[in-house]
Amino acid sequence: MVTDTNRFDRRRLLQAIGGGGAVLIAGCMGDLVGSDGGDADIQLLTMGVGDNIQGFFDETTAAFEEEHDISLELTSVTWDNAKQTVNNRVDGDQAPDVGRWPARWIPQLVGKEAIEPLDELMQGSFYDKFYEGMAEGCTYEGSYYGVPWAASNKCLFYNKNVFEAAGLDPEKPSLNSWDEMLEAATQITNETDTHALGLAGADAIETGSQYYHYHWSHGADLVDDDGAPVVNSPEGVAGLSFYADLHQKHGVTQPSPLSSTRQDIRELFESGSLGMVIAHAYAGLNIQENDAGFEFGIVQVPEGPAGRYSLNTVDSLVIFSQSEAKDLAKDLIRFYYDEERRFEYSSQKGFMPVMQSVGERAHFADSPVWGPFIEAGQYARTRPKLPNFNEFNDRMVLAIQQAVGGEQSPQAALDAAQEDLMSMMNAG
Amino acid sequence: MGRVFRSQRLRYVHQHRWAYLLIAPAAVFLLAVVGYPIVETFRLSLYQSQASTATETFVGLTHYEAILTDQAFYDLLYRTGKWVLAGVLGKTLLGLLIAVALNADVRGQKFFRTAFLIPWGIPYAISAVVFRWIEHPQYGALNAALLKLGVIEQGVGILGNPDTALLGVVVADIWIGTPFMAIIILAGLQSIPVELYEAASIDGADRYQQFRYITLPQLKGVLFIATLLSTIWTFVSFDVIWTMTRGGPLNATTTLVIQIYQVGLENGAMGRGAAYSVIGFFVLLMFALVYIRVYAGDDL
Repeated sequence: MVTDTNRFDRRRLLQAIGGGGAVLIAGCMGDLVGSDGGDADIQLLTMGVGDNIQGFFDETTAAFEEEHDISLELTSVTWDNAKQTVNNRVDGDQAPDVGRWPARWIPQLVGKEAIEPLDELMQGSFYDKFYEGMAEGCTYEGSYYGVPWAASNKCLFYNKNVFEAAGLDPEKPSLNSWDEMLEAATQITNETDTHALGLAGADAIETGSQYYHYHWSHGADLVDDDGAPVVNSPEGVAGLSFYADLHQKHGVTQPSPLSSTRQDIRELFESGSLGMVIAHAYAGLNIQENDAGFEFGIVQVPEGPAGRYSLNTVDSLVIFSQSEAKDLAKDLIRFYYDEERRFEYSSQKGFMPVMQSVGERAHFADSPVWGPFIEAGQYARTRPKLPNFNEFNDRMVLAIQQAVGGEQSPQAALDAAQEDLMSMMNAG
Repeated sequence: MGRVFRSQRLRYVHQHRWAYLLIAPAAVFLLAVVGYPIVETFRLSLYQSQASTATETFVGLTHYEAILTDQAFYDLLYRTGKWVLAGVLGKTLLGLLIAVALNADVRGQKFFRTAFLIPWGIPYAISAVVFRWIEHPQYGALNAALLKLGVIEQGVGILGNPDTALLGVVVADIWIGTPFMAIIILAGLQSIPVELYEAASIDGADRYQQFRYITLPQLKGVLFIATLLSTIWTFVSFDVIWTMTRGGPLNATTTLVIQIYQVGLENGAMGRGAAYSVIGFFVLLMFALVYIRVYAGDDL
């Protein structure tokens, strides 16, 4: 029996009560930026507005209000509350007009018919502004549901001082393949007291993100074209074996990778306590800003037997179906994609540019930090868009932990994961 | 007979109509914020309900069947039991020791009583973050101290080892929850008549015998309430584990409450999450009933 719950039934009332609480909490805990009450003509919900970008939003909000003679309410919530807040607002019929939303979560809102297709907007000269891969990252079931807002991808950072101490060439290191990376890591482990490589293994979403580079580059996939899980292919087992062996067999990682999140290993590298780590561009920006006292280099994520991939994450701007100001919402989106504004946003926030013209500016193209990341665009690969990707990813993280912790062989860990994922997908 | 009873009851209600009217708003409020969510959770547990869709499919007891026939659920219950037992035992014993010490006539008694309350006044999540840092394999104060003393050669990841992670979070939970126990027990200690100790002393009872035969029996009621509350709070405790380990590594610190959050809210399987909640509700209810029956007897 399928019950249509589009009407305001008991469940929705409960969710609305919860939503009210979550919105209240989010309002208190998140940084409420430029809110002028609930009577605004248009509402924009975004996440994680910090000091580095608050000025940008203050200025652009004022400029848009003046340009259109309307009031714009900008609300920022913390990332921890983002998903729940948006879902509660949608369920409580209190959705904002425009919202920032990770592209990989688009299926979830499409499933609720909560966001509008933006095919009409994403065409012609407006569409041409974006890197193709970033724009395509906002599609689902053949339609554009978002406009690329922010993006990040990965490269391999290495500590030049550590390389030099280990007798490795700090300027032209051999780090093209996983095997070469392992060779360098082994030499660092043998010749220095520094832990050679950061390996994420904690019970966190990002452990999957770090591992998928190995999985994909060994020729494995997470799901097939029909969306069925295929994680335990021989290639997948080879990828996880290599990942786990870095700790289990070769001992070239930091101690206790099962307690290390992606953030932990990035911070270790930023403090000069690691030889290499796969990280976002802002690891480099942080080191430059904090003058950490060591030189670093950036190369592409090493390639495996089946190629090279850089995990690409795209956040988008979406328009909510409940919006009663959809035309104004589209105007707001167009407003934010003025080249100068995008440059200001990307450069201040430290995110990959999503517009080609911004990426071609010297600030990015000639930067020793940004240059490799712009180049990595050609290796970009996103996680599959599945309505229950979080659950999928959680199960993968458990398999990664089992292999890295030596509890199960990579084959057994992935076989068990495959079985659970099949049941999960069949259960819907 | 029945008619007489009904008419008496109606008369009683009529006589007290103003009292009923006055408590009605509170009763309606309680029904809305307590009763309704409980009923709704029961109902939701009978449906397949993904947060990502606007549809619900009635599946009857399928979620319960899947959960109760899965060995992983019993591992989860066992782990939850260990977490609750270790936490409540630690908090009670430490709380008792501190309360006895604070009850003695020592200098700075007021200062210590206030100081011991501080951990309880700090938001749990913040305390958990502090403990995560203390136990961090690279930056942690604990590892730094052990390294300096030469006990270990390199940082040990307490929270990264499935064998020690539960201990790592239990220690934080004990630190956070002990002040409550200490204060409650201290209140109980102060209500014990001094004459009992004086009489026992005259009869030749030593300190241990006084503690064993006067203090503990006199504290029975207080300890009963305090441990019951502590058990419930520890059972439903979320912040400490989530902040420190998110239930990992390898599910070594995943308790029933963490599982409910992961399944129902993080992964959006609201029906299955609700079924876990209902099971948790009954587990806690059964524990409370048995506990009251066994330990409270006719005293309460």
